[in-house]
Amino acid sequence: MTRRRWLAVAALSGLLLAAGMQQRFDSTVDYFGERSAFVSLPSGKTLRVLSFGYRNLAADLLFIWSIQFYSAYNIRNRFDFIERVYDTITDITPEYKEPYIIGSLIMAHEANDLPMALRLLEKGSRLNPDEWIFDHDAGFYCYKYLKDYAKAEEYYNRAAAKPGAPVFIKRMKAHLVYLRDDPEMATRMWLDILHHAEDTLTRDSAFNHLYQIKAEADLPLLQQKIAEYRRQYRRPPAVLADLARAGLLREIPRDFAGDEYIYDGASGTVTAQRIFRWQKR
Amino acid sequence: MKPGIKGIAVNTFRESARNKMFYLLVFFGILFALSSKLVSFLTLGDAMKVLKDTGLAAINFFCVLIAVFTGINLVYKEIERKTVFNILSKPVSRDEFIVGKFLGLALTMLTALGAMAVIFFAFVALNGGGFDLGILLYFFMLYLELLVIVAVSLLFSSFTTPILAFIFTVSLYLIGHVMWTYNEFKNYLAIPLWRIFTQALYYLLPNLAKFNIKNEVVLGTALDPWSILFSVLYALAYVLALLALTVLIFRRREFQ
Repeated sequence: MTRRRWLAVAALSGLLLAAGMQQRFDSTVDYFGERSAFVSLPSGKTLRVLSFGYRNLAADLLFIWSIQFYSAYNIRNRFDFIERVYDTITDITPEYKEPYIIGSLIMAHEANDLPMALRLLEKGSRLNPDEWIFDHDAGFYCYKYLKDYAKAEEYYNRAAAKPGAPVFIKRMKAHLVYLRDDPEMATRMWLDILHHAEDTLTRDSAFNHLYQIKAEADLPLLQQKIAEYRRQYRRPPAVLADLARAGLLREIPRDFAGDEYIYDGASGTVTAQRIFRWQKR
Repeated sequence: MKPGIKGIAVNTFRESARNKMFYLLVFFGILFALSSKLVSFLTLGDAMKVLKDTGLAAINFFCVLIAVFTGINLVYKEIERKTVFNILSKPVSRDEFIVGKFLGLALTMLTALGAMAVIFFAFVALNGGGFDLGILLYFFMLYLELLVIVAVSLLFSSFTTPILAFIFTVSLYLIGHVMWTYNEFKNYLAIPLWRIFTQALYYLLPNLAKFNIKNEVVLGTALDPWSILFSVLYALAYVLALLALTVLIFRRREFQ
């Protein structure tokens, strides 16, 4: 073998060995074992100065790095400084929307730290007062995971008041009012949505909500009156109209579509014609 | 335009265009701008934003390099090769020589930036971005910034060596992009004299951040037309002042 070939083999072997060592290192490394290495990430303000007019690029690169880093599931304690990382990115370019959205998503779903996710989204909302998405996302996390409907409604109210807020935020607000057990207010809000609906989705959604809210109020009332009827006559009513004839109800309520509720005379139970879509938890 | 200025400007442009370094930097500028597509693959959300950020940053960086590398050699090379004697022996004044050099380099920068801009616009359009008037405005502002850098490098080139001119120009470029920190910095100065000194520096040094509208055009945030107008006037005034200073220095120089 010529000297040239020996050198080529040596170079190739060296590179392969180095790659193997790197792979071995990556699989065992505790990135934050040397915490000082990560704490030394400069603040957003410092990076803004050090980027010398390329702050967009600096924020993009740090954001891209964060996506790759927080997707590395082999690093067990990767979330230790996540708030610092996203604070830095959003300090460099406060107008950049994605780091707030993706950062809060990682905090909520991967790091299981909802208060931290809400803090990041509130920062986004504070620094971008005309942007509705941050309040919307915060409202969604409160609704979906914290089950704090009052807080979620507060966020949705803020989002709905911002320019360009989509119509579904109004629907979410009304749904949250329904979830926190205020059927009268929810009915008023859904009626308003139904009367101003410009598309089928909004109209159907409002109709279904109104149907369910009304049925949820009517069915227990009917069930209560059937029980009273049963106590008085020692049998269930043959038809719902018997309740009116017995003076227990002035008139028999109908569902939101104007149809009669389904009554089973044998068991004395009353049900709605449509399936309920939403459940209060 | 005086024939002397025109002749020197055309010759400077030709000389720059023949320079291999010029083509190399333009090539790398275009290559890095196009490679922004690769970077955009790695992000989540608005990939077009990352593509524009990276592409514009690459064009900005390489245009500044072209301005600095071409500018720092302009006058020095003529003196070093003693071709300046030839030129100045003709009916061309020293003032015309400097103005001609500046205009030639301004034309070179316009060509380099124009080439990169056309390719970048086509690239953005190919990636579904459409024509963005904001980016066109950004290129105009970048050109103004480049004119200031060219004027700075020409000034240093008129009295010092290329290495020193490079260090001074790059330093001014970096300082020019962090001028906005002055307002915070002055709070740390207890001695009034230092405050006056730094205040004077603040007004003397080029505030290049004025021309940086990358963030606004990429994110689509509102741009103040008055701020743009003032930046244009600022660039013109600053270039004029630097050219006058360069002419003053160059007039006093004695060639051996």
